[in-house]
Amino acid sequence: MKRRSFNATLLAGLGAPALIGLSGQARAAGKPTAIRIGFPGAGTGGRPLPTSGYPANAVFRSEIEQEFASEGIKVEWKYFVGAGPALNESFANGLLDFAFGHGDLPLLVGRSTGLKHKVLMSAGRGSDVYFVSPANSPAKTIADLKGKTLSVQKGTATQLQLYRVLAKYGFNDPEKEFRIISQIRDDQVASLSTGDIAGALLSPFGLEARGVAKRVAEIFDDPDISAPSTVWVGEAFEQQYPDIVQRVVTRLVKVAHWSTQEANRETQYQLWTRSGVNTYIDNKKSWDRVKDLRTRLNPLLDDYYVAAIKKSIDEAKKYRLIRREVSLDGWIERKYLNKALADLKLENYWPTQDASGKFTRT
Amino acid sequence: MSASTDDLHVFPRTVERPIAPVWHRHARDAVQQGLIAALTIVLGLILPAALFALWWTAAERHWIAEQILPPPAFVWDSIKYVLETGELLDHIKFSASRVAWSLLIGGSAGLILGFGMALSRSFKAYVFPTFDVLAQLPVLGWIPLLIIFVGIEEPLKITAVSIAVVVPVALSTLHGIANIPQSLLEVGRVYQFDAFQVIHRIVLPAAAPSLFTGLRQGVMQAWLSVIFVELLSSSEGLGFLMAYSRSLGQIDMVIVAMLAIGVVGILIELTLRLIESRLQGWRRSAF
Repeated sequence: MKRRSFNATLLAGLGAPALIGLSGQARAAGKPTAIRIGFPGAGTGGRPLPTSGYPANAVFRSEIEQEFASEGIKVEWKYFVGAGPALNESFANGLLDFAFGHGDLPLLVGRSTGLKHKVLMSAGRGSDVYFVSPANSPAKTIADLKGKTLSVQKGTATQLQLYRVLAKYGFNDPEKEFRIISQIRDDQVASLSTGDIAGALLSPFGLEARGVAKRVAEIFDDPDISAPSTVWVGEAFEQQYPDIVQRVVTRLVKVAHWSTQEANRETQYQLWTRSGVNTYIDNKKSWDRVKDLRTRLNPLLDDYYVAAIKKSIDEAKKYRLIRREVSLDGWIERKYLNKALADLKLENYWPTQDASGKFTRT
Repeated sequence: MSASTDDLHVFPRTVERPIAPVWHRHARDAVQQGLIAALTIVLGLILPAALFALWWTAAERHWIAEQILPPPAFVWDSIKYVLETGELLDHIKFSASRVAWSLLIGGSAGLILGFGMALSRSFKAYVFPTFDVLAQLPVLGWIPLLIIFVGIEEPLKITAVSIAVVVPVALSTLHGIANIPQSLLEVGRVYQFDAFQVIHRIVLPAAAPSLFTGLRQGVMQAWLSVIFVELLSSSEGLGFLMAYSRSLGQIDMVIVAMLAIGVVGILIELTLRLIESRLQGWRRSAF
């Protein structure tokens, strides 16, 4: 009896991977059984929730689930404490179909190692960057922190952003001029409160209210410092289910449109506290500066998007974060976004920016 | 009447075989030993060769995605690259210096504890139970507490690795001294050795092999735990190189770091063996 149950366990153990393979084949019938969507990040303590932006709203408002509920297609959300790099690994292992907002560095790292995906739309652009230090730090400027320990989650877009911020203040060899360690956000906050690190890029308002940190530098809406993030789909999924991809994109554009309505501003400030990463005061103070929500919650793949990605490639190469070529050929697939904008009559709704980030249509 | 070897009835003279010339015998022995050594090496290489072939084939035929398992040629390029830029050596130096400091601190603490517990019964009675319980904790188990007390910087790494060293060194010292044959100590009493002479003439030489075993274990423990500790909030060292390369999707560099860890580990082991055999040469000639 015991033996039999052991055999059954063994069979189940061996069978499970085979079944996973089967489910892949079953999907060939025209409809996937599930859509697996990844977010590069998780809430505090690994809470499985997104933080902010219009793709996060799609989760909070169950938009994608509603889109596919009638057909019995399940939507699986995956959140990665290891952020963008972990999302890449998951996709390389064949465990993801979509990414809802991949930062520039991990996106390019993935592309450079040969991950096959198609860029569908921008997940958002523009941001204010805050450089914070422990509350009791005597530092007044970033230059005061030279040689000290800074913390960032390495491999994420914030690493590249930190390098850009430091370069703006005249430090062009960041890893030599500072000691930059890698920590996830939770650990950065803990280390700020114990004074173990001298600085990090974090939303400051909640931390200041708790007496943990203070701002040493802030940069508002600099298109050279912040880069757009990206929604993409795996190439295999896109080839097999173009209709599903179109419906996901159209639904996301709808969510993006909802997100830019002034009437929904306050609701979003509240939704964006759920992951625990930002407090209400963080959302309110940083987003109240944004007079027109369309400038941030923007799905377009305009000249600015392409130029920003190219600039990120150059920077990532300069800092030797990628060692292989990254080509844009055949990578950016605009047809789904264009169709969604046309169907929803939103072709001229969002402002566009030129390569330097200047608004060409407002 | 007892038998004597001279008695031809008891020990008949065997037919003497012609003895081969000395050089001839030496040459034969050398060839034989050479063959055995060669065979050992060949047998030892079979598994790595098979693993390498498996890796090569798996990469060649794309059994596993290239992002997860890069081909050997690419890893080889990366090895050349980090050797040329000196990056790898820098990381090894950082890890090695952490190991060295930890050995100095943890090793001395281990020796003091070990000697103390072995030589003084009351010291052992006070300390050993606590030590025994704490020794069960893996380095990993210390990390959360250590972060609170010493922060996340260098002290964390040195303390954690030192703890990994203390345990094997102290235990081997304790056992080495406890297992010294009573007869040796009795001889010491007969000669009316004073305490210094007992330690210098009896305890140290007799316990030397155990001390060395402990030290070797300590070094290996230090080397293994430094890699782990460097995964935490570092910006240098082999462990950091692994974690960082992984986050940039450079699995080739992860493999390079693994190879470096292995090679350095073997070098440490060989060096220690050499020192040990030099220092304990007297033992071989004594038996």
